[in-house]
Amino acid sequence: MSKNKVSIIGAGNVGATATYYIAEKVIADLVMVDIAGGMTQAKAVDFLHAGPLRGYDVSISIVGTSDFAQIADSNVVVITAGLPRKPGMDRMDLLKVNAGIVKQAARAIVEHAPNAIVIVVSNPLDIMCHVALRSTGFDLRHVVGMAGILDSTRFRYFVAEQLGCALSSVHAMVLGGHGDQMVPLPRLTTVSGVPITELMDAATIARLVDRTRKGGAEIVSLLKTGSAYYAPAASVADMVEAVITDRKHLAPCAAYLRGEYGIDDLFIGVPTILGKNGVERIIELELLEDERTLLRASADAVRKGVEELNTFFKPT
Amino acid sequence: MKRISIIGSGNVGTNTAFFIAETRTADVLLVDIKDGIAAGKALDLMEAGPVRGYATSIRGTVKIDDIAGSDVVIIAAGVTRKPGQQREDVYRENAPIVRAIAQDIRRLAPGAVVINVVEPIDLLTLLVQETLGVDRSKVMGVGGLLSSTRIRFLVSKALGVSPREVTGLIIGPHHPSMVFLKDTIRVSGIPAEALLGEARLRELIEEARNAGDAILKLAQRSSSFYASCAATAALVEAIVCNTKALLPVSVRCEGEYGIKGLAIGVPAYIGESGVTGIVELKLSTADRKAFDEAAAALRTAHDNINAGVA
Repeated sequence: MSKNKVSIIGAGNVGATATYYIAEKVIADLVMVDIAGGMTQAKAVDFLHAGPLRGYDVSISIVGTSDFAQIADSNVVVITAGLPRKPGMDRMDLLKVNAGIVKQAARAIVEHAPNAIVIVVSNPLDIMCHVALRSTGFDLRHVVGMAGILDSTRFRYFVAEQLGCALSSVHAMVLGGHGDQMVPLPRLTTVSGVPITELMDAATIARLVDRTRKGGAEIVSLLKTGSAYYAPAASVADMVEAVITDRKHLAPCAAYLRGEYGIDDLFIGVPTILGKNGVERIIELELLEDERTLLRASADAVRKGVEELNTFFKPT
Repeated sequence: MKRISIIGSGNVGTNTAFFIAETRTADVLLVDIKDGIAAGKALDLMEAGPVRGYATSIRGTVKIDDIAGSDVVIIAAGVTRKPGQQREDVYRENAPIVRAIAQDIRRLAPGAVVINVVEPIDLLTLLVQETLGVDRSKVMGVGGLLSSTRIRFLVSKALGVSPREVTGLIIGPHHPSMVFLKDTIRVSGIPAEALLGEARLRELIEEARNAGDAILKLAQRSSSFYASCAATAALVEAIVCNTKALLPVSVRCEGEYGIKGLAIGVPAYIGESGVTGIVELKLSTADRKAFDEAAAALRTAHDNINAGVA
């Protein structure tokens, strides 16, 4: 078996923590790339020092670098690079800056790891997926965004906490764009297969849905000067594992739609099957009328962002 | 570290010890009346520890008194069902063994949560609970969870998806008449029926229903045990880590699902104190009917045994 290789572009909190979670799975060699080369190298060496205690000492390598060439022949490349939105920053400015960063990463991927599956984490997520797909020109199924798994892991946690039951018994489905307009589906959110609609009243579910929608903001309001990274990194690691081990993981991800759900030419969160070929299948659920309305509204918001971006960037 | 005692060191007992060791959650004591067998298997398991990475203690003994103070006791002694045997026949063979073990547990580890893995599961789980004279929440039988893991596997295989996100609950007796709750068979929350079609799902359910017999046929001299050991270890983990996982187990009902004074498979939250809650689901008309019929047959078997007919 040839050795698997995963590269993470951007070694901030999300990128570095994802590297750590993936390292613990001992499934691939790891490369972190960041313009801050010294910091990245330091984090990689620090991880390696923890190896003897954590059990991944000689079986995998972890490299930190500012040299994009090091991602050569990666099976998976994760793009986490991008700025967080700072107070006073215009939404469009953020969009432009991050689109530039993602574009640069995409070019490096095309040059050095043309067969990689690309997992996009940079925000605004669905729009950055679009940038990554266009800039790489990769197969539509080889570019996928991390959002639904994060939103659903939060929803799962809130449900388990509410019921006082095991996290492992809870599964959740959250569709739509990553943001306020995500579409959590309580009827497909279950405890050992029992829909939560049978286990809690409507008001409680509405409260948990709302908390899920604002899950990212809740962390930001606590941290004041930062945003969540443990749950996002865990979600990244879950996706990387699904691709590397070809797990055929049915989970919500941002995938490029071509008519599914009545949505065309757009990345948005839908149930997918993740395996070694990226998004191997999109599961088209029969949605209820109100769910369809929410998903469409969510898609409209993403489309607006893509169009705004197009006024600044010509598609390549 | 919590202490788990497993009575009976056959395939079920030993492999349950093995699965528990791999979860690194508890110390295990294997008890067997046959001299040396439990000690030998325990030593073999401990010697695998350095390679497998567990350092929990696994001991073997012939002395039942060593179970004193256990947090969990698993009853895995007795004979397995032979092809064609009825519940009552197996009961006649296993009941005296299980009753004697329950009396020992009552004497030595009266506070333990007890898991019965001996067939017929529902009838013997009730016998254990009555012999112990403890609250019904302290005694559970491994039944539905075994069939649940089987349907989850079959659905994942049919769809070509990972089994980790597949769910499925079973209610009713641990018997071919068990009721698979179709609506709970899901992948990441999506009903399997929507992904597989009604007919295909029905086939898989029948396959899961008869899986025990199919393995018996394939393996010839041996019955299935890995899946039941995995199910037992999952219950132990839920108890030891107090996870409150929602799992299908056989437990004495007192009104739930219309059943009184019988142990039968129902979905229950499992935690440190045993069964911490039974979830009563709305059943479809067809499921209700199937459940009632299966429960009535179990009741008849129970009454026949009590009347000394069987």
